[in-house]
Amino acid sequence: MFEVFVFATLNGLVTGLLLFMLASGLTLIFSMMGVLNFAHASFYMLGAYFAYTLSAYLGFWGGLLFAPLIVGCIGAAVERYGLRRVHQSGHVAELVFTFGLAFLIEEAVQFFWGRDTKNYQSPELFDFALFTLFGQEFSAYRGFMIAIACLIFGALYFVLTRSRVGIIIQASISHPQTVANLGHNVPLIFMCVFGVGTALAGVAGVIAGPVLTTFPGMATVLGSIVFVVVVIGGLGSLPGALIASLLVGLLQSYAIAADVGMPELLHLLGLSFDSSHPLNDLWTLNLPQIAPVLPYLLLVLVLIFKPTGLMGNREQ
Amino acid sequence: MSLLTLDSVCKSFGSTRIINDVSLDIEAGEKHAIIGPNGAGKSTLFHLISGRYNVSSGAIGFKGEVIHNLPPYEIARRGLARSFQVTNIFPRMSVFENIRCALLWSEGYRYSFWQLLGRQRTLNEKALDVLERIGLSDKAQLPSGELAYAQQRALELGIAVASGAELIMLDEPVAGMSNSEAENAVALIRRITEGKTLIMVEHDMNIVFDIADRISVLVYGEIIATDTPQNIRSNARVQEAYLGEVPSDA
Amino acid sequence: MKKQLPVWLGFALALVFLPSIFDSVLGISILNQMTIWIIFALSYNMLLGQGGMLSFGHAVYFGLGGFMSVHALNLIADEVLVFSITLIPLVGGAVGLVAAIFIGSFSTRKSGTVFAMISLGIGELIVASSLIFADFFGGEAGVTGDRTYGPPFFGIEFLQDAEVYYLGAFWLFVATLFMYLFTQTPAGRMANAVRDNPERAEFIGYSTRRVRFISFCAAGLFAGIAGGLFAINYEFITEENLNALTSGRVLLMAYIGGLGFFIGPIVGAVILTLMNSLLSNYSEMWMLYLGIMFLLTVIFLPRGFAGFIMMHQIAWQNRRLGTLILPYFVTAVPALVFLAAFVGLVELSHKGDDILPFFGLSLGAESMLSWGILLALAGIGALGVKLSRPRLAAAWALANTPTADDRGDVR
Repeated sequence: MFEVFVFATLNGLVTGLLLFMLASGLTLIFSMMGVLNFAHASFYMLGAYFAYTLSAYLGFWGGLLFAPLIVGCIGAAVERYGLRRVHQSGHVAELVFTFGLAFLIEEAVQFFWGRDTKNYQSPELFDFALFTLFGQEFSAYRGFMIAIACLIFGALYFVLTRSRVGIIIQASISHPQTVANLGHNVPLIFMCVFGVGTALAGVAGVIAGPVLTTFPGMATVLGSIVFVVVVIGGLGSLPGALIASLLVGLLQSYAIAADVGMPELLHLLGLSFDSSHPLNDLWTLNLPQIAPVLPYLLLVLVLIFKPTGLMGNREQ
Repeated sequence: MSLLTLDSVCKSFGSTRIINDVSLDIEAGEKHAIIGPNGAGKSTLFHLISGRYNVSSGAIGFKGEVIHNLPPYEIARRGLARSFQVTNIFPRMSVFENIRCALLWSEGYRYSFWQLLGRQRTLNEKALDVLERIGLSDKAQLPSGELAYAQQRALELGIAVASGAELIMLDEPVAGMSNSEAENAVALIRRITEGKTLIMVEHDMNIVFDIADRISVLVYGEIIATDTPQNIRSNARVQEAYLGEVPSDA
Repeated sequence: MKKQLPVWLGFALALVFLPSIFDSVLGISILNQMTIWIIFALSYNMLLGQGGMLSFGHAVYFGLGGFMSVHALNLIADEVLVFSITLIPLVGGAVGLVAAIFIGSFSTRKSGTVFAMISLGIGELIVASSLIFADFFGGEAGVTGDRTYGPPFFGIEFLQDAEVYYLGAFWLFVATLFMYLFTQTPAGRMANAVRDNPERAEFIGYSTRRVRFISFCAAGLFAGIAGGLFAINYEFITEENLNALTSGRVLLMAYIGGLGFFIGPIVGAVILTLMNSLLSNYSEMWMLYLGIMFLLTVIFLPRGFAGFIMMHQIAWQNRRLGTLILPYFVTAVPALVFLAAFVGLVELSHKGDDILPFFGLSLGAESMLSWGILLALAGIGALGVKLSRPRLAAAWALANTPTADDRGDVR
């Protein structure tokens, strides 16, 4: 039991940190510009694909270095030429735009790379077990993922709170007009934040690609979960996004690992139904089955009881 | 019995107290102005009375009923209407529709999805009547967002009085208007609030002295004086609040 | 209403005579699809265009209505229930309504982004549960039914697609009429008011929550009716018809058509159904084109195609519409050239060894000349548009009165 718990925790941690890498970029963009970027997971996918192509020429590390840069540039261009123009049409138009963008990127990926799953490998450097616990191996690559994620968050935190640029960004989040009046180029700041946010998503794609498989549907798989995380954590709150990411990652991990379900619950209550009962599907339900659903359930519950999210304070 | 009573009303946002122990009685048919320096809390007071904010403590009563902490729509249904400092209309709907919507509840339509508005003769006539009184009859089919500023303010007024509310609260109704526009607006206000109770926030002293029966002076969230215009004018505390000192020739 | 009678008459006549014009198998099939999607898109606009509520989970009501309808078809075939399949859309509508009442009871408390996120969450929840509750939802294979086993309707057994069309057209007319009438009622008008200014709506005596709830339930009802028609048409439904993709598709339709106009979703549904059916026959890349077109519409035509048409209202009132024809033509020609070249480039990149027929030319991916021609055409087209734009802008300004401006204010 204990080893299951330990590994479930570690896996949940990896998933959670990965989710946070995506959620942090999304939160930054939302805080700054008030737009929920539906295409955020698409930039994640672009990161994976670019890294896949680049790693064929430059190796994994070349991919890790350059793919996020390319993705960030694309993101900045999208902001400059697309989002900025749509901004004046209101929030609904912005949401619809990013929604269409997500759709377009998925089609474009299929256009340029084809519809098959890409064989994007993690570097051989990490092809060993970091440690073996109770007979199960924990791959070094996952350890690497955790390390990179923590590194990025450290850098993000440092930049946002200690550097001059970070202070300006934080100010632009709540008072863009004032910051503009002080002589700062707010549109440029917006473009850069969008670029950095999407680059972050790209990094997540670069590292997650080998593990979560690189295929055209990878954005849809992760996309809505990231949204769930951001909303649960509280729109616009980075600490909230971190907590929510870890919560969702761990929750799913535990649910998959725990092999209990309705049969056990019914047994506890002293009830039993035979398989011809019309609600049989319900009585045979177990946790691993509903694991994919749990984040959404959590979302709906949080939104009903605390619409601003766990740590949010910004009312839309 | 007073139409509107405020009883030791306080409102704080976090640790900042905006309204401090305000008590006020407004009589039916009275025209009451609230004046005070910027930031005194006049709009907040309006928000408290009209239901946008809940009171932190104290009580507000209207026609003998407790109304504080009720949602705005409950208060509006009881006969209290207000206009806003920043024009607050339905920009994508026509001028006529704006007024008609304001009439719906008082004409008994509720949430009906089975009655066609085009067929409701009494309702439509009343709406046209209100449009006539506020002088926007010729603009009836225009989207209200396309009106000139002063006309939007007139519409704002129309929406507030259309439902026949007994107590009308106007928040800086002539803000941003030229002198001639303001003159027209004041004449309009007089016309349509005849026989009704009016509470008005206003900065322009000429208008205030012209319309008001009584004036309350709000400073830092407290009412420092409530009296007839003449007495307010010569009230030393009021002069001090506005000018910082008592003028030597007061 | 009186002066709109000819419009409704025209609508009814068009519905009756369209299958005579487009009488091929493909034509009837496309018309059938349109009847379903128009109702669905109109129901969505009750939420977004008229109520200001952005939902990412509207397909739930469509799908649930559809699933229940297919089950009803099977119950009729088994003679457990006996009623004409012409009433199936009512079954769908009832299910859509009940689901909307239940879900709306908690999700309409908030508006804006929170509402949108709840709708997304609910949508995903229902899709996920559909895979769990395999008995009702048929698992991954979905549920199938047969519409021909029911009692005949005046002798018609609905074996023919054309017969199904007339049933669909009937429900389309009825649903459109009722959805339109809703906009003319107090509930419908207050929905507009709440959309424009929820705060002020409260101050004139209306609970915004209640108003939104009513719109929400009505939208669910009509989405369910569309689901019922879907069930009759395809006799088959899967969890795909409940999911976010379907919700997204109807959002696209409403948006491209134009949210601010009643006929907007109709236009959008027609355009997208046509693109879906026709383009997919000609090109594998049609989804890519759809995505591009969608983005361009969002950027340049925020009020949709219906909005684009309505933009000309002032010019028409000024009787200057005719002055715009030539400038439009002068700009349209190079634009079309650019479009054709762009499509050519996209198609050529995916042709591999095959030949791409292009306006009488045979282009091959290997040939530099082919690429050169296409690129040159694209360049010429782009240049043409750029050069002719100032003239169009000037003509436009002249055709409108000085005080007019296009706000593009979809909020």
